[in-house]
Amino acid sequence: MRYFARKVAFFLATLWAVVTLNFLIPRLQPGDPAEIMVKRLAGKDSQLDPAQVQAMRAMLGTPDGSLWSQYTGYLGELAHGNFGLSYTYYPFPVTEVIGQAIWWTVVLVVVTQVLSFAVGTVLGAYAAWRRNTRFDSVVTLGSTFLGTLQPFWIALLLIYLLGYTLGWFPTSGGYEAATPGFNGPFIQEAVSHSFLPALALLVVTPIGWVLGMRNTMIMNLGEDYIRLARAKGLPDRRIALGYAARNALLPSVTGFALALGGVLGGAILVETAFDYPGLGRLMGEAVENKDYPLLQTLMLLTTAGVLLANLVADLMYGVLDPRARRAQS
Amino acid sequence: MTTATSPDALLEVDGLSVRYEPKRNPSLTAVSDVSFSIRPGEFVGLIGESGSGKTTLGTALLRLLDRPARISEGSVRLDGTDITALSEDELRPLRWRDVSTVFQSSMNALNPVIRVEAQFRDVIEEHSGLRGDAVTERVRELFDMVMIDHRFIRAFPHELSGGMKQRVNLALALALEPKVVLLDEPTTGLDVVVQHSILENIRRLQREKGFAVLFISHDIGTVLDLSDRILVMYAGRIVEENDAASLLRDPMHPYTKGLLGSYSDPRAETVRITYVPGRLPDLTKDVTGCPFVARCPERISLCESVTPAFAPLAGGDVACHVARVQRGGEVDGLAAADVGEPTRRFAGPEFVKTAAESTEALTRPALLSVDSVGKTYERRRGLKVERTVAVDDVSFELRRGEVTALVGQSGSGKTTLARLITGVDKPSTGRIVFHGPDGEQEVAGFRGRALRGYRKHVQMVFQDPYSSLNPAKRIGQALERPLVNHHGLSGRALRDRVRELLETVALTPTERFVDRYPHELSGGQRQRVVIARALAAEPEIVIADEPISSLDVSIRAEILELLGSLVREHDMGILYITHDLLSARMLSDEVLVLNDGRVVERGPTLDVIRSPRDEYTRRLLDAVPNPFG
Ligand SMILES: Nc1ncnc2c1ncn2[C@@H]1O[C@H](COP(=O)(O)OP(=O)(O)OP(=O)(O)O)[C@@H](O)[C@H]1O
Ligand code: SF4
Ligand SMILES: [Mg+2]
Repeated sequence: MRYFARKVAFFLATLWAVVTLNFLIPRLQPGDPAEIMVKRLAGKDSQLDPAQVQAMRAMLGTPDGSLWSQYTGYLGELAHGNFGLSYTYYPFPVTEVIGQAIWWTVVLVVVTQVLSFAVGTVLGAYAAWRRNTRFDSVVTLGSTFLGTLQPFWIALLLIYLLGYTLGWFPTSGGYEAATPGFNGPFIQEAVSHSFLPALALLVVTPIGWVLGMRNTMIMNLGEDYIRLARAKGLPDRRIALGYAARNALLPSVTGFALALGGVLGGAILVETAFDYPGLGRLMGEAVENKDYPLLQTLMLLTTAGVLLANLVADLMYGVLDPRARRAQS
Repeated sequence: MTTATSPDALLEVDGLSVRYEPKRNPSLTAVSDVSFSIRPGEFVGLIGESGSGKTTLGTALLRLLDRPARISEGSVRLDGTDITALSEDELRPLRWRDVSTVFQSSMNALNPVIRVEAQFRDVIEEHSGLRGDAVTERVRELFDMVMIDHRFIRAFPHELSGGMKQRVNLALALALEPKVVLLDEPTTGLDVVVQHSILENIRRLQREKGFAVLFISHDIGTVLDLSDRILVMYAGRIVEENDAASLLRDPMHPYTKGLLGSYSDPRAETVRITYVPGRLPDLTKDVTGCPFVARCPERISLCESVTPAFAPLAGGDVACHVARVQRGGEVDGLAAADVGEPTRRFAGPEFVKTAAESTEALTRPALLSVDSVGKTYERRRGLKVERTVAVDDVSFELRRGEVTALVGQSGSGKTTLARLITGVDKPSTGRIVFHGPDGEQEVAGFRGRALRGYRKHVQMVFQDPYSSLNPAKRIGQALERPLVNHHGLSGRALRDRVRELLETVALTPTERFVDRYPHELSGGQRQRVVIARALAAEPEIVIADEPISSLDVSIRAEILELLGSLVREHDMGILYITHDLLSARMLSDEVLVLNDGRVVERGPTLDVIRSPRDEYTRRLLDAVPNPFG
């Protein structure tokens, strides 16, 4: 239990540190933190745009009162989900803009990540179990080859082939005419629009899991406990699943949690290529339009996501591997 | 050779050969034409040095060989069924029910992420009708058999100590009351006292339950202690087979004599041990003549050209021309007159230690005085401060040209004491005084340059020669470092000194060793390099922390002999840390037995061994296999 408590405490502490640094850094110099922040992001020589400063101030607060009261004010705003107004989508609050985009990404990326992980792990485990057979060679060589291709390039190829040439799937956007919400036409459109970006992700993301799983499992297959399981006369299936694959899965599970945390990074390229209305595209827009409040919040969100993923990875590892619990507590 | 199918054999191996055929390296025959059989309830020992093919043979008997290994010839019959001809599906129901095993180095044999109980449950449910609580009940019984508390049934493997793991592995092997259990060095790497109690446990259970055992070891003392019958393996072949008593009384093959020579009674006034110099032949090449010929002191010219057959002789079986003719057997082209009388001794290099030598050594001038030294470690655990008394009121003297043995269980404070002596740590109480070239100096007072100077005089040799050498450095480079650092040598002088050092540790011809990498050397050779590196600083004191415990028994004597000659010829003092009393007797003049940080017994080695007063010392002595006593 101590292990889990420590991990949660560590997560909370880091999260708090990140949020506080975000507050402190613009205040280290004298002056208006919102102005300083905008200057820092825009570059020293550029003109200050009052609208931008205004938007920023909604989040960072004004430099009135004691540092402490500013700080509590800031935490209060964050707690209420008030991250300021978006400059691009003025006067919508940042949270609302993000709130709309986030589901697109979560659904697209989480679904593809989970699928990739499942497919990759199963393929990798099977290749390891049948190592040095033709199946193994095909899987290993195939993955290695696909791994050398750029996801963006694959995305373009897919758009060209399945989108323009064959015209099977829409090549950009998230939906057409339907009203967003939980209704048949919308869901159908959303699914068909997400098909190409999902495919682009699905071609590349499983590769890491395939190779990782295969290598760890082959290493595990050489361990004494596997040999012992064979000597015990356990059926192959049991050895493969209960002993070899289960143990080989440990590093992958941690890796998977971390990958989910880093979702945003991976989504940017693909979303941009397909003009898909998710967080990745939003991030691109924020950079392009110098929408700092939005950018700031996205950054905070990403950091929190990575931290959270780390926490989940640690907790899962603790559940799956009894050795970890002791080693660190 | 052909064995008539004996009706009463449980396990029958006939003409078995195993080859490793790696893709990149040359193929080798690790097991060549091996034949033997085991009767129900028989305890058979298989002995041979590292690399002789014992594990490969055992793995073949279990049909667990993986690529690149394969059985290239021969058969293994279990209760009359040739298991080499069975498919995996046909074999599975026999596994564990008929033949079970405890692996060599089986610290890793339990799945680390599954509870111990589940690892019993899966095999019991697979092969028997027991389910649910009946299985738990069976596991309890098994834990009782190996004397482990029931609360560990629900433990994870990492929560068990090394000794407990081995007991659990043993319990697991007995789970289905198999007919044969294969034990591959089941206790190597454990504390001697723990080893001893596990082996006793094995022998007792074997008598009670009546299963047969094939017990693999490189330690002939243990094998003789436990086994009814012994197989001696060399270079993939069985070279001698006999019942334990006959083998001890009248060993026929010179290699067997060599192995026996590594034991001696530590209570004798003069102990002598012999050892077999050299290494195994290259198994990738076809052997002409006797595979042992290069190391055999009894060889004759016939041995170079004709391979001796493994055939019955004088109640056992042996593969040696000379032994056969000596005992009235017939060998083409060899007459009784060509060979001498049979001897029991291995006429090879010998290491002798007399009581008189020790008495003389104990009168020498002091080199290091340890005076009422204590060390308490404090460790913060949350808010509490935990105090551990690692060393408590220890006094002794190390003399020039003398060896003091520091004996004790793991955790008894040996390593802490070594740290205090090298100046890595300072004692909490008491003094350590070095009688060096600059007069008497207190070790705890050394700082900076003086400390570095002192460390040059005190060198350490560690347990594991595999990890103490940098695998990426050639032997020559490994030796040059300390020479450059401590003596500022360079160029010719440096090269000459490296050669001298290699000669001192008998790695000759030296030019064959300077450019080699550690992995190209045997364990014994590597430990020699480590010793040479320690000698490079020209130390006055060498602290040898279990320098032979990770080595094969057959090369242990070699290293002991080297250390012994260094003391005599270089007038230094050695602090020899060990828990093996036989080697303590071979090397040391005085012995100090530590328990819980305190000296529980101290005196001239021979006196302590002959009349131990402390309970722990007695247990250590019991743990020394003594086939002669
Ligand atoms: N996987 C492998 N590939 C190639 N050669 C191997 C392999 N495993 C073992 N060998 C070789 O087979 C021979 C026999 O090795 P084996 O492990 O059976 O010896 P052993 O008697 O059990 O030694 P030890 O006492 O060190 O356990 C050695 O020459 C070894 O180098
Ligand atoms: S056959 Fe010759 S070389 Fe081989 S062991 Fe016998 S005497 Fe030695
Ligand atoms: Mg072995």
